[in-house]
Amino acid sequence: MSKPPDLVQGTLDLLILKILALEPLNGHAIGLRLRQVSNEALAVSDGSLYPALHKLEQQGWLNATWRTTENNRRAKVYGLTRAGRRKLEKETSDWERLSGAISHVLRLGSV
Amino acid sequence: MPLERWRDVVSLRWRSLLRRGRVEHDLDEEIRYHIETEIDRLIDAGMDAGEARHAVLRRFGGVDAVKERCRDTRGVTLVETVAADLRYAVRTLRRSPAYAAVAVLTLALGIGANAAVFSLADGIMMAPLPYADPDGLVAVKATYPGGGFEAMRREVRTLAVAAYAEGHTFTLTGDGEAVRVSGTLVSAELLPMLGVKPILGRWLRPGEDVAPRDRSVILSHALWKARYGEDPQVIGRSIDLSGVRREIVAVMPHDFDFPSAGAQVWVPIGLEARDTPRYWAGDFMPIVGRLAPGATPAQAREEIRAFQARVPALFPWKMPSDWNRDLTVVPLREAIVAGVRSRIVVFLAAVALVLLVACANVANLGLSRAFAREREMAIRAAIGASPRRIARQLLTESAVLAAAGAVSGLAVGAAVLAGLKRWLPADTPRLAQAQLNGRAVLVCALLAIVTGCAVGLAPVLYALRLRLRTALESGGRGGSGGATGPVRRALTIGQVACAVLLVIAAGLLVRSLYRLSRVDAGFTPDGLVTARVSPPESLCADADRCVAFYRLLGARLAEAGELRGAALVNTLPLTGAVAKRSLEIQGYTVPAGQAAPLVSMNVVTPGYFRVMEIGLEAGRAFTAADASGSAPVVVVSSSTARKYWPGHSPIGRHLRFEGEEAWREIVGVASDVRAHDLTTDEPDWIAGTIYVPHGANGTLEDGRLPPAMTVVARTPLEPARLAAMLRGMTDRADVVVDEARTMREIVAGRIAAPAATASLLASIAVLAVTIGCVGVYGVLSFLVARRFRDFGIRMALGAQRAHVFWAVMKEAAALCLAGVAIGVLGAAVLTRWMSAELYGVSPTDPATYVSVSLAVTVVTLAASVVPTRRALGADPLAVLREQ
Repeated sequence: MSKPPDLVQGTLDLLILKILALEPLNGHAIGLRLRQVSNEALAVSDGSLYPALHKLEQQGWLNATWRTTENNRRAKVYGLTRAGRRKLEKETSDWERLSGAISHVLRLGSV
Repeated sequence: MPLERWRDVVSLRWRSLLRRGRVEHDLDEEIRYHIETEIDRLIDAGMDAGEARHAVLRRFGGVDAVKERCRDTRGVTLVETVAADLRYAVRTLRRSPAYAAVAVLTLALGIGANAAVFSLADGIMMAPLPYADPDGLVAVKATYPGGGFEAMRREVRTLAVAAYAEGHTFTLTGDGEAVRVSGTLVSAELLPMLGVKPILGRWLRPGEDVAPRDRSVILSHALWKARYGEDPQVIGRSIDLSGVRREIVAVMPHDFDFPSAGAQVWVPIGLEARDTPRYWAGDFMPIVGRLAPGATPAQAREEIRAFQARVPALFPWKMPSDWNRDLTVVPLREAIVAGVRSRIVVFLAAVALVLLVACANVANLGLSRAFAREREMAIRAAIGASPRRIARQLLTESAVLAAAGAVSGLAVGAAVLAGLKRWLPADTPRLAQAQLNGRAVLVCALLAIVTGCAVGLAPVLYALRLRLRTALESGGRGGSGGATGPVRRALTIGQVACAVLLVIAAGLLVRSLYRLSRVDAGFTPDGLVTARVSPPESLCADADRCVAFYRLLGARLAEAGELRGAALVNTLPLTGAVAKRSLEIQGYTVPAGQAAPLVSMNVVTPGYFRVMEIGLEAGRAFTAADASGSAPVVVVSSSTARKYWPGHSPIGRHLRFEGEEAWREIVGVASDVRAHDLTTDEPDWIAGTIYVPHGANGTLEDGRLPPAMTVVARTPLEPARLAAMLRGMTDRADVVVDEARTMREIVAGRIAAPAATASLLASIAVLAVTIGCVGVYGVLSFLVARRFRDFGIRMALGAQRAHVFWAVMKEAAALCLAGVAIGVLGAAVLTRWMSAELYGVSPTDPATYVSVSLAVTVVTLAASVVPTRRALGADPLAVLREQ
């Protein structure tokens, strides 16, 4: 029930935004996609996903609609809002700057 | 944030707040979808159903915890938890109604008393005067006769001035039965200066206060209503006031009460320079003024002082050098409330103390509850409630109590204020202005918040301390809670100290009141009934007719069977009436720079000393022969005799009033009478008291006989019966008989203000003691509960019941004595501020201190007997079994 300790704070948010930038998905599908893209490297319990989704929704970066799926269940499908898209761009560039800087520092050590 | 996002966010929050059911449902469905879909996926991959469900749930984490974290993201959880806290607080308080009732009642009384007294203080001392631009109004603390006032009006530039003279009475005739009305003389600029518009008619015009253009009168609303039935046609009508025709020029609004409530007419002061005695020695009038634009009070003070330095030269005689020596200029509001300020401050301090006692009490109660709920708190902490959450819960409870206390306090405050307004003497300045106003409500709310925090603090500190403890280690077993002991003891000691301080203050006032009511005024008020007789002005303008009228009345009174003696006097003691005369004493030279002695002249019929039971120290009283006789005689008061004939008998010496030809012989010395004030023999502006027999020689300053005389009679009759009897005796329809009352009522009126102060403070003190006793009871119950097991074990081991009893009582006595000691010390320091309210009692009166200390000790110990007895009920077996 604890938050994933090995995720840098905000990384989960960034991944969710990135995944949803491709297409709107329901929570279960986001979880599957998350496992696929990270090759199971990110040990996120499925439950932790939902507070993150709800938070992003409350912040206005995601919007949600209810859709009926092929197996006739009602699923809550999340999509990126315009603000969410801007947020993703900003987060991505921030992340690249930060990770670039960190890799740079790490490479310095190995020389 | 872009607008559209705002809209989304707002609608989401709105939805989560208002449509909680819907949102919860969505959450459930979303998570159910996830779990079911994942199970399906695993089954498809070849797992069996049970295993799949198990794996999914494990992977998911705790469903309820996830839901809770989702709820936390909604951003309205604060509102929700506060609402939940509130609901929970109300529910828990409802479960312990006794605690809630005592706490709310205590707070309601504390807050109510504060709101009421604050409103009173606010209305009397702070609220702006109901006049135009009240900040520019000042009072010149000095008095001037008409001539002095006219000079000031002419010469002073920084201040526009107006004069008035209170306490005149007129006989109003025509339009029905003749009545006496009380009136105030005013200069023409007074009403325009105050800026109060009449509801009918006009202000006095400039110059309308100078004779002979001064024949106007302004009616009060009450007189207009009672006498003229609110007739709007009354303006311009002529009425007869004490034999002078005056034209009604205005009717004032009902709430106009300058200079004090009760004036029925305002009449121009009637300046007349040719009437030298009246112009230079008539009414010495107080002055109000309005600062000229740009002028400061300091400039006005300087200019008035400079004026005061040169005005004595204008007088036709030499003025004493110390006349108006203490002259100063103060804001008008200050001058009006000066007399009640110290009393109001005492009240404010007293109710503030009561609130302190109340707060300590509720905090104590809260601590007891926190102790009693220790186990509940421990359990809540164990199942995951954070200390902060518990603290918030307890604070919410305190806030609910404080809010309930404030709301009921407002109701109590309104009732108390209404009571106060009836209770306090009606002549308390600006009393009518006091109402439970917005500011009082604000203060009430502030008090509630402060009280809530104060009251909430103790249990919260206590609850937070729980964190340091292993959760269920000792919770609820009754062996802990010791750490709050010192806090609770300090609170209790503080309560007892406040109560003692208040009771001592009240005790001093009550003793002072007792002294005042036992003052030997120099006459015996019990059994005396009085009424004033006012024949028409014209009758007493003729000395012979006037003497004949009163002689006939005197003779008829002497024959009346129900009276054990009756007499007449022009100025009845303690009614505020004074007839001043300047005195010339044979063989006495007035010291340079001083005025001739100004004495109070009492015109009396021969039986006066006997009826009033005023003792004669030397010589004789008046006889019937003195009244009609040609040789004028007087009786002087004892202090007058000592002052002007020290060491000698004044009998046979001579004196005369200024302006008289013939010397009067002193035939007797009468005991001193406290005619002006119960607390002093004579005010410092009166040099002596002279009695003159009613008759042709009993003329006043204006050369006329006193027009109105007051009958004093020793009789068991009701005042109204005496008045009716007098009306029957005068044979005339135009004679007014009024002011019928007993002498006791007059004396009681003089001590109405101190009596109201004393009884009010006594009520406040009783309130404090009652609340304090609840506190002592509470803290001992707590101590006993804490050591219940201890007592049980001790008694099981063979301790005597009496021993246990005294152990607890010793604790109670220690608390009580510490409180009494602090209270006594506090009183010794603080009561000196109320010495202005005390008469004949020192602020550190030992008798009061000792008796109050004893009384409070006894009462608090009595309050501790019940919980102590409960300690003895500890059943050793039951207590041990509980372990």
